[in-house]
Amino acid sequence: MLRKRLIPTLLLREGRLVKGVGYRNHRDAGRPETTARAHDAQSADEIVILDIDASRDARPPDFKALGLVAAECFMPVTMGGGIRSRDDACRAMDAGADKITITTTALDNPSLIGDLARLLGAQAVVLGVDVWRSGSEHLIYDFRTDRTRRDRDVMSWIGEAVDRGAGEIRLMSAESEGKRCGMDLELIAGVKKRFKVPVVAEGGAGTLEHLAEGLEAGADGVCVGTMLVFSDNNLVKIRRFLNSRGCELRA
Amino acid sequence: MTIAVVDYGAGNLTSVLKMLERLGEEPQIARTPEAILAADRIVLPGVGAAGEAVEKLRGRGLDAALDETVRKKGRPFLGICLGMQLLAERLYEFGEHRGLGWVEGEVRHINEVVDGHDVSVPHMGWNRVDPTPSGMEFFKRGSPQEFYFAHSYTLRPSDSAVVAAYTGYGVDLVSAVRFDSVFATQFHPEKSQVEGEKLLAAFLDWRP
Repeated sequence: MLRKRLIPTLLLREGRLVKGVGYRNHRDAGRPETTARAHDAQSADEIVILDIDASRDARPPDFKALGLVAAECFMPVTMGGGIRSRDDACRAMDAGADKITITTTALDNPSLIGDLARLLGAQAVVLGVDVWRSGSEHLIYDFRTDRTRRDRDVMSWIGEAVDRGAGEIRLMSAESEGKRCGMDLELIAGVKKRFKVPVVAEGGAGTLEHLAEGLEAGADGVCVGTMLVFSDNNLVKIRRFLNSRGCELRA
Repeated sequence: MTIAVVDYGAGNLTSVLKMLERLGEEPQIARTPEAILAADRIVLPGVGAAGEAVEKLRGRGLDAALDETVRKKGRPFLGICLGMQLLAERLYEFGEHRGLGWVEGEVRHINEVVDGHDVSVPHMGWNRVDPTPSGMEFFKRGSPQEFYFAHSYTLRPSDSAVVAAYTGYGVDLVSAVRFDSVFATQFHPEKSQVEGEKLLAAFLDWRP
Protein backbone atom coordinates (compact mmCIF):
# COMPACT_ATOMS: atom_id res chain seq x y z
CA MET A 1 0.00 0.00 0.00
CA LEU A 2 1.23 3.45 -0.92
CA ARG A 3 1.87 5.44 2.24
CA LYS A 4 0.80 9.00 2.90
CA ARG A 5 3.75 11.37 3.20
CA LEU A 6 4.93 13.80 5.84
CA ILE A 7 7.05 16.48 4.19
CA PRO A 8 8.93 19.27 5.94
CA THR A 9 9.14 22.46 3.89
CA LEU A 10 12.21 24.65 4.30
CA LEU A 11 12.16 28.28 3.21
CA LEU A 12 15.49 29.69 2.18
CA ARG A 13 16.57 33.33 2.24
CA GLU A 14 20.15 34.52 1.88
CA GLY A 15 21.52 31.13 2.80
CA ARG A 16 19.45 30.80 5.98
CA LEU A 17 16.14 29.17 6.73
CA VAL A 18 13.26 31.45 7.59
CA LYS A 19 9.65 31.09 8.54
CA GLY A 20 6.96 33.69 8.04
CA VAL A 21 3.27 34.28 8.28
CA GLY A 22 1.25 34.90 5.13
CA TYR A 23 4.39 35.32 3.02
CA ARG A 24 5.85 38.06 5.24
CA ASN A 25 7.36 38.78 8.66
CA HIS A 26 10.05 36.21 8.13
CA ARG A 27 12.08 35.13 11.14
CA ASP A 28 15.36 33.29 11.15
CA ALA A 29 14.93 29.53 11.50
CA GLY A 30 18.48 28.21 11.39
CA ARG A 31 20.99 26.67 9.08
CA PRO A 32 19.54 24.69 6.17
CA GLU A 33 21.96 21.76 6.36
CA THR A 34 21.54 21.31 10.12
CA THR A 35 17.78 21.23 9.81
CA ALA A 36 17.89 18.89 6.82
CA ARG A 37 20.11 16.48 8.76
CA ALA A 38 17.65 16.46 11.65
CA HIS A 39 14.75 15.75 9.31
CA ASP A 40 16.64 12.88 7.67
CA ALA A 41 17.42 11.42 11.10
CA GLN A 42 13.71 11.58 11.94
CA SER A 43 12.83 9.79 8.69
CA ALA A 44 11.04 12.59 6.87
CA ASP A 45 9.36 10.98 3.86
CA GLU A 46 10.81 13.68 1.64
CA ILE A 47 11.77 17.33 1.91
CA VAL A 48 10.88 20.51 0.02
CA ILE A 49 13.21 23.50 -0.07
CA LEU A 50 12.19 26.80 -1.61
CA ASP A 51 14.28 29.86 -2.29
CA ILE A 52 11.58 32.40 -1.49
CA ASP A 53 13.20 35.46 -3.05
CA ALA A 54 14.29 33.95 -6.37
CA SER A 55 11.06 34.42 -8.34
CA ARG A 56 10.48 37.92 -7.09
CA ASP A 57 14.07 38.85 -7.92
CA ALA A 58 13.78 37.04 -11.29
CA ARG A 59 16.88 34.93 -10.66
CA PRO A 60 17.55 31.20 -10.30
CA PRO A 61 17.51 29.68 -6.82
CA ASP A 62 20.54 29.52 -4.53
CA PHE A 63 21.94 26.24 -5.87
CA LYS A 64 24.74 26.23 -3.34
CA ALA A 65 22.41 26.24 -0.35
CA LEU A 66 20.15 23.70 -2.06
CA GLY A 67 23.17 21.49 -2.55
CA LEU A 68 24.06 21.68 1.13
CA VAL A 69 20.58 20.48 2.01
CA ALA A 70 20.59 17.67 -0.56
CA ALA A 71 23.92 16.45 0.79
CA GLU A 72 22.23 15.66 4.11
CA CYS A 73 19.20 13.89 2.67
CA PHE A 74 18.72 10.21 1.93
CA MET A 75 15.16 10.88 1.00
CA PRO A 76 13.76 12.72 -2.02
CA VAL A 77 14.40 16.45 -2.26
CA THR A 78 12.17 18.87 -4.14
CA MET A 79 13.67 22.24 -4.99
CA GLY A 80 11.90 25.39 -6.05
CA GLY A 81 12.12 29.12 -6.43
CA GLY A 82 12.81 30.97 -9.65
CA ILE A 83 13.23 27.91 -11.90
CA ARG A 84 12.34 29.29 -15.32
CA SER A 85 14.25 27.17 -17.84
CA ARG A 86 15.54 23.71 -18.67
CA ASP A 87 18.97 24.94 -17.67
CA ASP A 88 17.80 26.06 -14.20
CA ALA A 89 16.09 22.70 -13.72
CA CYS A 90 19.22 20.79 -14.74
CA ARG A 91 21.31 22.83 -12.33
CA ALA A 92 18.84 22.03 -9.55
CA MET A 93 19.04 18.32 -10.39
CA ASP A 94 22.83 18.51 -10.43
CA ALA A 95 22.72 20.21 -7.03
CA GLY A 96 20.88 17.13 -5.74
CA ALA A 97 17.18 17.69 -6.45
CA ASP A 98 14.96 14.73 -7.29
CA LYS A 99 12.04 16.92 -8.24
CA ILE A 100 11.67 20.56 -9.04
CA THR A 101 8.65 22.66 -8.23
CA ILE A 102 7.49 25.62 -10.28
CA THR A 103 4.71 27.98 -9.32
CA THR A 104 4.79 31.55 -10.66
CA THR A 105 7.30 30.69 -13.40
CA ALA A 106 4.78 28.14 -14.72
CA LEU A 107 2.05 30.78 -14.74
CA ASP A 108 4.36 33.10 -16.69
CA ASN A 109 5.30 30.36 -19.14
CA PRO A 110 3.02 27.29 -19.09
CA SER A 111 5.05 25.52 -21.78
CA LEU A 112 7.86 25.21 -19.21
CA ILE A 113 5.85 22.39 -17.59
CA GLY A 114 5.97 20.23 -20.72
CA ASP A 115 9.58 21.12 -21.45
CA LEU A 116 10.66 19.95 -18.02
CA ALA A 117 8.48 16.83 -18.10
CA ARG A 118 10.09 15.72 -21.36
CA LEU A 119 13.53 16.43 -19.96
CA LEU A 120 13.19 15.01 -16.45
CA GLY A 121 10.08 12.84 -16.59
CA ALA A 122 6.70 13.89 -15.22
CA GLN A 123 7.54 12.41 -11.80
CA ALA A 124 10.13 15.17 -11.33
CA VAL A 125 7.85 18.08 -12.17
CA VAL A 126 5.75 19.42 -9.31
CA LEU A 127 3.33 22.22 -10.02
CA GLY A 128 2.91 24.59 -7.10
CA VAL A 129 -0.45 26.29 -6.90
CA ASP A 130 -0.88 29.13 -4.42
CA VAL A 131 -4.57 29.46 -3.70
CA TRP A 132 -6.32 32.36 -2.03
CA ARG A 133 -9.72 31.63 -0.59
CA SER A 134 -12.10 34.51 -0.72
CA GLY A 135 -15.45 33.48 0.76
CA SER A 136 -16.39 30.33 -1.11
CA GLU A 137 -14.21 31.22 -4.07
CA HIS A 138 -10.72 29.85 -4.73
CA LEU A 139 -8.41 32.18 -6.62
CA ILE A 140 -4.84 31.87 -7.83
CA TYR A 141 -2.53 34.03 -5.74
CA ASP A 142 0.69 35.59 -7.02
CA PHE A 143 2.95 36.30 -4.06
CA ARG A 144 5.22 38.51 -6.19
CA THR A 145 2.52 41.12 -6.49
CA ASP A 146 0.52 40.07 -3.40
CA ARG A 147 -2.55 39.91 -5.64
CA THR A 148 -4.92 37.26 -6.85
CA ARG A 149 -5.07 36.63 -10.58
CA ARG A 150 -8.32 36.70 -12.44
CA ASP A 151 -6.87 35.41 -15.69
CA ARG A 152 -6.87 31.79 -14.54
CA ASP A 153 -9.15 29.55 -12.56
CA VAL A 154 -7.62 27.10 -10.03
CA MET A 155 -9.18 23.93 -11.41
CA SER A 156 -8.64 24.73 -15.08
CA TRP A 157 -5.03 25.73 -14.40
CA ILE A 158 -4.34 22.43 -12.62
CA GLY A 159 -6.04 20.57 -15.47
CA GLU A 160 -3.89 22.34 -18.04
CA ALA A 161 -0.72 21.68 -16.05
CA VAL A 162 -1.49 17.97 -15.68
CA ASP A 163 -2.15 17.74 -19.42
CA ARG A 164 1.18 19.42 -20.04
CA GLY A 165 2.98 16.88 -17.87
CA ALA A 166 2.98 18.01 -14.24
CA GLY A 167 3.43 14.87 -12.12
CA GLU A 168 2.38 16.22 -8.76
CA ILE A 169 0.47 19.18 -7.38
CA ARG A 170 1.70 21.10 -4.36
CA LEU A 171 -1.40 22.84 -3.17
CA MET A 172 -0.68 25.82 -1.01
CA SER A 173 -3.42 27.53 0.86
CA ALA A 174 -1.85 30.95 0.68
CA GLU A 175 -4.22 33.06 2.73
CA SER A 176 -3.92 30.73 5.70
CA GLU A 177 -0.16 30.15 5.52
CA GLY A 178 1.37 30.33 8.97
CA LYS A 179 -1.98 31.23 10.55
CA ARG A 180 -2.78 27.81 12.05
CA CYS A 181 -6.48 27.96 11.23
CA GLY A 182 -6.78 24.56 9.59
CA MET A 183 -6.19 23.28 6.05
CA ASP A 184 -8.52 24.03 3.15
CA LEU A 185 -10.24 20.65 3.09
CA GLU A 186 -12.74 21.56 0.41
CA LEU A 187 -9.93 22.56 -1.93
CA ILE A 188 -7.92 19.38 -1.27
CA ALA A 189 -10.94 17.14 -1.78
CA GLY A 190 -11.97 19.05 -4.90
CA VAL A 191 -8.59 18.69 -6.57
CA LYS A 192 -8.22 15.01 -5.62
CA LYS A 193 -11.66 14.26 -6.98
CA ARG A 194 -10.94 15.80 -10.36
CA PHE A 195 -7.34 14.82 -11.02
CA LYS A 196 -5.56 11.48 -10.77
CA VAL A 197 -2.18 12.85 -9.76
CA PRO A 198 -0.55 12.96 -6.33
CA VAL A 199 -1.47 16.04 -4.33
CA VAL A 200 0.49 17.35 -1.38
CA ALA A 201 -1.12 20.05 0.70
CA GLU A 202 0.30 22.87 2.72
CA GLY A 203 -0.89 25.89 4.59
CA GLY A 204 -3.04 26.46 7.63
CA ALA A 205 -2.15 23.49 9.81
CA GLY A 206 -1.72 24.63 13.40
CA THR A 207 -2.51 21.39 15.18
CA LEU A 208 -1.84 17.73 14.53
CA GLU A 209 -5.56 17.33 14.08
CA HIS A 210 -5.43 19.75 11.14
CA LEU A 211 -2.84 17.57 9.39
CA ALA A 212 -4.96 14.47 9.90
CA GLU A 213 -7.94 16.27 8.38
CA GLY A 214 -5.87 17.23 5.33
CA LEU A 215 -4.89 13.61 4.74
CA GLU A 216 -8.42 12.39 5.36
CA ALA A 217 -9.66 14.92 2.79
CA GLY A 218 -7.54 13.02 0.25
CA ALA A 219 -4.10 14.63 0.24
CA ASP A 220 -1.31 12.16 -0.58
CA GLY A 221 1.00 14.11 1.67
CA VAL A 222 1.11 17.09 3.96
CA CYS A 223 3.87 19.66 4.09
CA VAL A 224 4.77 21.07 7.46
CA GLY A 225 6.58 24.34 8.00
CA THR A 226 5.43 26.58 10.84
CA MET A 227 4.48 23.65 12.99
CA LEU A 228 8.02 22.31 13.05
CA VAL A 229 9.87 25.56 13.39
CA PHE A 230 8.27 27.38 16.28
CA SER A 231 6.71 24.68 18.40
CA ASP A 232 7.67 21.58 20.31
CA ASN A 233 6.40 19.31 17.56
CA ASN A 234 8.77 17.09 15.62
CA LEU A 235 8.36 14.60 12.82
CA VAL A 236 8.42 11.57 15.10
CA LYS A 237 5.64 12.93 17.25
CA ILE A 238 3.56 14.06 14.28
CA ARG A 239 3.96 10.71 12.53
CA ARG A 240 2.94 8.80 15.65
CA PHE A 241 -0.17 10.92 16.02
CA LEU A 242 -1.18 10.60 12.36
CA ASN A 243 -0.72 6.85 12.42
CA SER A 244 -2.78 6.60 15.60
CA ARG A 245 -5.50 8.40 13.65
CA GLY A 246 -5.28 5.77 10.90
CA CYS A 247 -3.63 8.05 8.33
CA GLU A 248 -1.31 5.27 7.12
CA LEU A 249 2.11 6.86 7.07
CA ARG A 250 5.30 4.83 7.33
CA ALA A 251 5.66 3.37 10.80
CA MET B 1 36.82 -2.73 -6.32
CA THR B 2 35.87 -0.03 -8.84
CA ILE B 3 32.22 0.93 -8.79
CA ALA B 4 31.10 2.97 -11.75
CA VAL B 5 28.02 5.13 -11.44
CA VAL B 6 26.95 5.89 -14.99
CA ASP B 7 26.25 9.55 -15.73
CA TYR B 8 24.24 10.06 -18.89
CA GLY B 9 23.19 13.64 -18.19
CA ALA B 10 20.17 15.29 -16.57
CA GLY B 11 20.55 12.95 -13.64
CA ASN B 12 20.95 13.38 -9.94
CA LEU B 13 23.86 11.23 -8.83
CA THR B 14 24.35 12.89 -5.44
CA SER B 15 22.43 10.42 -3.31
CA VAL B 16 23.70 7.23 -4.86
CA LEU B 17 27.30 8.45 -4.63
CA LYS B 18 26.86 9.55 -1.03
CA MET B 19 25.24 6.30 0.00
CA LEU B 20 27.98 4.22 -1.62
CA GLU B 21 30.56 6.37 0.18
CA ARG B 22 28.79 5.79 3.45
CA LEU B 23 29.18 2.06 2.77
CA GLY B 24 32.93 2.54 2.50
CA GLU B 25 33.24 2.55 -1.29
CA GLU B 26 34.83 5.11 -3.58
CA PRO B 27 32.40 5.22 -6.48
CA GLN B 28 33.59 6.68 -9.78
CA ILE B 29 31.36 8.69 -12.09
CA ALA B 30 31.46 7.03 -15.52
CA ARG B 31 30.76 9.22 -18.53
CA THR B 32 32.70 7.26 -21.15
CA PRO B 33 32.63 3.70 -22.49
CA GLU B 34 36.19 3.22 -21.17
CA ALA B 35 35.12 4.08 -17.62
CA ILE B 36 32.35 1.48 -17.79
CA LEU B 37 34.65 -1.18 -19.29
CA ALA B 38 37.15 -0.65 -16.44
CA ALA B 39 34.59 -1.11 -13.66
CA ASP B 40 34.07 -4.14 -11.42
CA ARG B 41 30.51 -3.16 -10.56
CA ILE B 42 28.14 -0.85 -12.35
CA VAL B 43 25.24 1.27 -11.15
CA LEU B 44 22.88 2.81 -13.70
CA PRO B 45 20.78 5.35 -11.82
CA GLY B 46 17.58 6.66 -13.20
CA VAL B 47 16.37 10.16 -13.53
CA GLY B 48 15.01 11.69 -16.65
CA ALA B 49 12.59 10.78 -19.38
CA ALA B 50 13.13 7.61 -21.42
CA GLY B 51 13.65 9.24 -24.81
CA GLU B 52 16.37 11.63 -23.66
CA ALA B 53 18.07 8.89 -21.65
CA VAL B 54 18.20 6.39 -24.52
CA GLU B 55 19.53 9.05 -26.86
CA LYS B 56 22.25 10.07 -24.44
CA LEU B 57 23.32 6.48 -23.71
CA ARG B 58 23.57 5.66 -27.42
CA GLY B 59 25.06 9.01 -28.40
CA ARG B 60 27.97 8.42 -26.04
CA GLY B 61 28.43 4.74 -26.91
CA LEU B 62 27.58 3.76 -23.34
CA ASP B 63 25.04 1.13 -24.42
CA ALA B 64 27.70 -0.98 -26.16
CA ALA B 65 30.03 -0.64 -23.18
CA LEU B 66 27.26 -1.81 -20.83
CA ASP B 67 26.53 -4.80 -23.10
CA GLU B 68 30.19 -5.75 -23.12
CA THR B 69 30.82 -5.30 -19.39
CA VAL B 70 27.60 -6.69 -17.96
CA ARG B 71 26.24 -9.16 -20.52
CA LYS B 72 29.54 -10.53 -21.89
CA LYS B 73 31.87 -10.23 -18.89
CA GLY B 74 29.19 -10.74 -16.26
CA ARG B 75 30.10 -7.85 -13.98
CA PRO B 76 27.40 -7.15 -11.37
CA PHE B 77 24.96 -4.45 -12.44
CA LEU B 78 22.42 -2.45 -10.47
CA GLY B 79 19.78 -0.47 -12.38
CA ILE B 80 17.65 2.05 -10.52
CA CYS B 81 14.22 3.32 -11.64
CA LEU B 82 14.69 4.43 -15.25
CA GLY B 83 17.89 2.36 -15.05
CA MET B 84 15.64 -0.70 -14.72
CA GLN B 85 13.20 0.38 -17.43
CA LEU B 86 16.04 0.93 -19.91
CA LEU B 87 16.71 -2.83 -19.81
CA ALA B 88 13.48 -3.50 -21.72
CA GLU B 89 13.25 -3.99 -25.47
CA ARG B 90 10.79 -1.16 -25.97
CA LEU B 91 9.75 1.88 -23.94
CA TYR B 92 6.63 3.91 -24.61
CA GLU B 93 7.17 7.32 -23.02
CA PHE B 94 6.57 10.37 -25.25
CA GLY B 95 6.87 8.07 -28.29
CA GLU B 96 8.48 4.66 -28.76
CA HIS B 97 12.12 4.02 -27.87
CA ARG B 98 14.39 1.01 -28.13
CA GLY B 99 15.96 0.02 -24.81
CA LEU B 100 19.01 -2.12 -24.09
CA GLY B 101 16.92 -5.24 -24.73
CA TRP B 102 18.28 -7.29 -21.82
CA VAL B 103 14.74 -8.02 -20.63
CA GLU B 104 12.15 -9.30 -23.06
CA GLY B 105 9.20 -7.02 -22.66
CA GLU B 106 8.19 -3.41 -22.67
CA VAL B 107 7.68 -0.35 -20.53
CA ARG B 108 4.12 0.99 -20.45
CA HIS B 109 2.30 3.84 -18.76
CA ILE B 110 0.84 2.75 -15.41
CA ASN B 111 -2.64 3.81 -16.55
CA GLU B 112 -2.49 1.17 -19.29
CA VAL B 113 -1.87 -1.67 -16.85
CA VAL B 114 -3.90 -0.90 -13.72
CA ASP B 115 -7.12 -2.42 -15.06
CA GLY B 116 -9.41 0.38 -14.06
CA HIS B 117 -8.12 0.59 -10.49
CA ASP B 118 -8.42 4.10 -9.17
CA VAL B 119 -4.80 5.12 -8.58
CA SER B 120 -2.91 8.37 -8.99
CA VAL B 121 -0.07 8.51 -11.48
CA PRO B 122 2.87 8.96 -11.00
CA HIS B 123 3.16 6.23 -8.38
CA MET B 124 4.87 8.52 -5.90
CA GLY B 125 5.98 7.83 -2.37
CA TRP B 126 6.81 4.94 -0.05
CA ASN B 127 5.34 1.56 -0.84
CA ARG B 128 5.90 -2.02 0.23
CA VAL B 129 8.15 -4.32 -1.75
CA ASP B 130 7.45 -8.06 -1.69
CA PRO B 131 10.40 -10.11 -2.92
CA THR B 132 10.01 -13.33 -4.89
CA PRO B 133 12.30 -16.22 -3.89
CA SER B 134 14.91 -15.02 -6.40
CA GLY B 135 14.88 -11.54 -4.86
CA MET B 136 15.21 -12.66 -1.22
CA GLU B 137 18.95 -12.29 -1.17
CA PHE B 138 18.61 -8.50 -1.61
CA PHE B 139 15.94 -7.94 1.02
CA LYS B 140 15.98 -8.61 4.72
CA ARG B 141 13.71 -11.56 5.39
CA GLY B 142 10.66 -11.24 7.54
CA SER B 143 9.42 -7.72 8.11
CA PRO B 144 7.76 -5.86 5.27
CA GLN B 145 10.05 -3.33 3.63
CA GLU B 146 9.15 0.01 2.19
CA PHE B 147 11.02 1.99 -0.42
CA TYR B 148 10.52 5.25 -2.28
CA PHE B 149 8.94 5.13 -5.75
CA ALA B 150 8.53 7.93 -8.29
CA HIS B 151 7.45 6.70 -11.70
CA SER B 152 4.67 6.90 -14.28
CA TYR B 153 5.85 3.97 -16.40
CA THR B 154 6.27 0.35 -15.49
CA LEU B 155 8.28 -2.59 -16.81
CA ARG B 156 6.24 -5.52 -18.12
CA PRO B 157 8.60 -8.47 -18.67
CA SER B 158 7.36 -11.27 -20.94
CA ASP B 159 8.93 -13.87 -18.66
CA SER B 160 8.00 -13.60 -14.99
CA ALA B 161 11.08 -15.66 -14.05
CA VAL B 162 13.14 -12.45 -14.05
CA VAL B 163 10.92 -10.77 -11.45
CA ALA B 164 12.65 -10.32 -8.09
CA ALA B 165 9.91 -8.30 -6.35
CA TYR B 166 6.39 -7.01 -6.78
CA THR B 167 4.65 -3.95 -5.34
CA GLY B 168 0.90 -3.56 -5.07
CA TYR B 169 -0.58 -0.46 -6.68
CA GLY B 170 -4.01 -1.41 -7.93
CA VAL B 171 -2.30 -4.35 -9.62
CA ASP B 172 1.07 -5.93 -8.88
CA LEU B 173 3.76 -3.79 -10.47
CA VAL B 174 7.21 -5.28 -11.05
CA SER B 175 9.43 -3.51 -8.52
CA ALA B 176 12.67 -5.46 -9.06
CA VAL B 177 14.20 -7.86 -11.59
CA ARG B 178 17.12 -10.22 -11.32
CA PHE B 179 18.87 -12.41 -13.88
CA ASP B 180 22.49 -13.38 -14.59
CA SER B 181 24.61 -10.52 -13.21
CA VAL B 182 21.76 -8.01 -13.39
CA PHE B 183 19.69 -6.67 -10.49
CA ALA B 184 17.45 -3.68 -10.94
CA THR B 185 14.82 -1.87 -8.92
CA GLN B 186 11.95 0.39 -9.88
CA PHE B 187 12.19 2.13 -6.51
CA HIS B 188 15.05 4.32 -5.33
CA PRO B 189 17.24 2.60 -2.72
CA GLU B 190 19.43 5.72 -2.60
CA LYS B 191 16.37 7.71 -1.46
CA SER B 192 15.08 5.10 0.93
CA GLN B 193 17.12 5.87 4.03
CA VAL B 194 18.09 2.85 6.15
CA GLU B 195 16.33 0.16 4.09
CA GLY B 196 17.86 1.53 0.93
CA GLU B 197 21.32 1.47 2.40
CA LYS B 198 20.90 -2.18 3.37
CA LEU B 199 19.84 -3.04 -0.14
CA LEU B 200 22.87 -1.29 -1.65
CA ALA B 201 25.07 -3.17 0.81
CA ALA B 202 23.49 -6.44 -0.35
CA PHE B 203 24.28 -5.51 -3.96
CA LEU B 204 27.91 -4.81 -3.03
CA ASP B 205 28.14 -8.26 -1.42
CA TRP B 206 26.44 -10.01 -4.33
CA ARG B 207 28.52 -12.60 -6.17
CA PRO B 208 26.41 -13.60 -9.17
